[in-house]
Amino acid sequence: MNRYRYPAIPESEVTPRELLHTRRRVLKGGLALGAAAVAPGLLWPREGQAWQGLLEQRLATGLPSQELAGGESPTSLRDITTYNNFYELGTGKRDPEIYGHQLVTDPWSLAIEGEVDKAGTFALEDVLKHQDLEERIYRLRCVEAWSKVIPWVGFPLADLLKRHEPTSRARYVVFETIHDPDNLRGQRRGVLDWPYREVLRIDEAMHPLTLMAVGLYGEVLPNQSGAPIRLVVPWKYGFKSIKSVVRIALVEERPLTSWEERNPEEYGFYANVNPEVDHPRWSQARERRLGESGRRETLMFNGYAEEVANLYSGMDLQRHY
Amino acid sequence: MTQRTAIHAFRLLVLMGCSAPALWLAWQWFYGDLGVVPGEAVVHFTGTTGLSLLLITIAFSPAFRFTGWVGFMAARRQIGLWAFFWLVAHMLAWMGLDQYWDWPWIRREMVELPYIRYGAAALLLLVPLALTSFRRAQQGMGRTAWHWLHRLVYVSALLGVVHLWILTRADYLLPSVFAAVLFALVVFRLIDAAIHRQ
Repeated sequence: MNRYRYPAIPESEVTPRELLHTRRRVLKGGLALGAAAVAPGLLWPREGQAWQGLLEQRLATGLPSQELAGGESPTSLRDITTYNNFYELGTGKRDPEIYGHQLVTDPWSLAIEGEVDKAGTFALEDVLKHQDLEERIYRLRCVEAWSKVIPWVGFPLADLLKRHEPTSRARYVVFETIHDPDNLRGQRRGVLDWPYREVLRIDEAMHPLTLMAVGLYGEVLPNQSGAPIRLVVPWKYGFKSIKSVVRIALVEERPLTSWEERNPEEYGFYANVNPEVDHPRWSQARERRLGESGRRETLMFNGYAEEVANLYSGMDLQRHY
Repeated sequence: MTQRTAIHAFRLLVLMGCSAPALWLAWQWFYGDLGVVPGEAVVHFTGTTGLSLLLITIAFSPAFRFTGWVGFMAARRQIGLWAFFWLVAHMLAWMGLDQYWDWPWIRREMVELPYIRYGAAALLLLVPLALTSFRRAQQGMGRTAWHWLHRLVYVSALLGVVHLWILTRADYLLPSVFAAVLFALVVFRLIDAAIHRQ
């Protein structure tokens, strides 16, 4: 296990943690006073704030870290958080950063339903309190032929699913993003059929590399990166790694994914990173790593072939793209 | 204001309007405001500007027909050449800032990617138009031949819109606007031709 080293950030840019929390306390104090003047009942933190507090506490405790990007150094936080695809916030690469505040993450609950013995809708803090968090450094390869290396914080999806006891009929896992067109400007336009939906085969979902991420660079996930909880499937194109998940359903019959519905020729169900299967309109053989000039060769299964190729043994990957 | 001054002022306005985006782009580049992949931003910006100017160039003829003001005809060559300039810049930005002058890859992309081919064809069609845009060329060719040749601008604009359309991933707002404008311009041109034939 390689110890992960953070890229150098000038000391001047870092707010000391004590100060950060003092500032927050001052802010919260101010807010509480204001609230107290209006309604004494609001003096106590609202239920929804619980997940933030819980997550920040856990993030502060030094998490185990696994470097799984072949020794490549992580992309800068700026590049990771200012060049995103998150159509709910707009189709421009900077839109998710600019309009990130439109995503209301507090309170947040996650529905886990379908073919599970323990179905229900759970406040995010209740989901988080059962999970051990860890850091995982993964490559991320977008279907648009750019890539990043990202230090996620999260937990294996398998842990969460097992806790809810899937039945023998659970063959696929369906994920849905929040649907909130009142706030999310992108959802007021029919670019995709909202809410965004992704699907994994149950063995893909249970694979130890498949992560539910809640943090990035040791901090709470920024909104543009899919806060407060998102999927990360490092061997598939980025669009499979659905953001801001509100619903996970285990099902027997597989529904279409949002991109499949939009254009099945271009966005297959599997969407495994494969330099030999081109997108109909562009090559997938190379990629632009953000922060680098030039192009690098795209790796089979995004460099995770050793771990995941067996999931697809015997399958014609030209056909099942 | 005399007619002459008005035309001069309009030509100056076109000059400023078509060069200002270059200054803006240079400014953004210099201050690092073009985002994580500045090369990509330059490619998009030059292409959008070039195609917009190409459509505006085409729109100068109907603008003249509607208003009868010769200023549009007096500035048409200038704005057409600006469109050509921006589209050449677009191609160079793609080759240099996006492909890093990697010739084998540039060739491969041209062979494999339809939208690159459409874009290249659109630009190639504009070359004879730019070369024959000067008065002497126009006189040498004869007006009829010159007019026929310069109708290629419609084909070039169409290829440009197709280029943008097929490289778009999901959000078709911009290509739809370009397509609608081009459609309106073509319809106008056909109606105008029909009226004149009578």
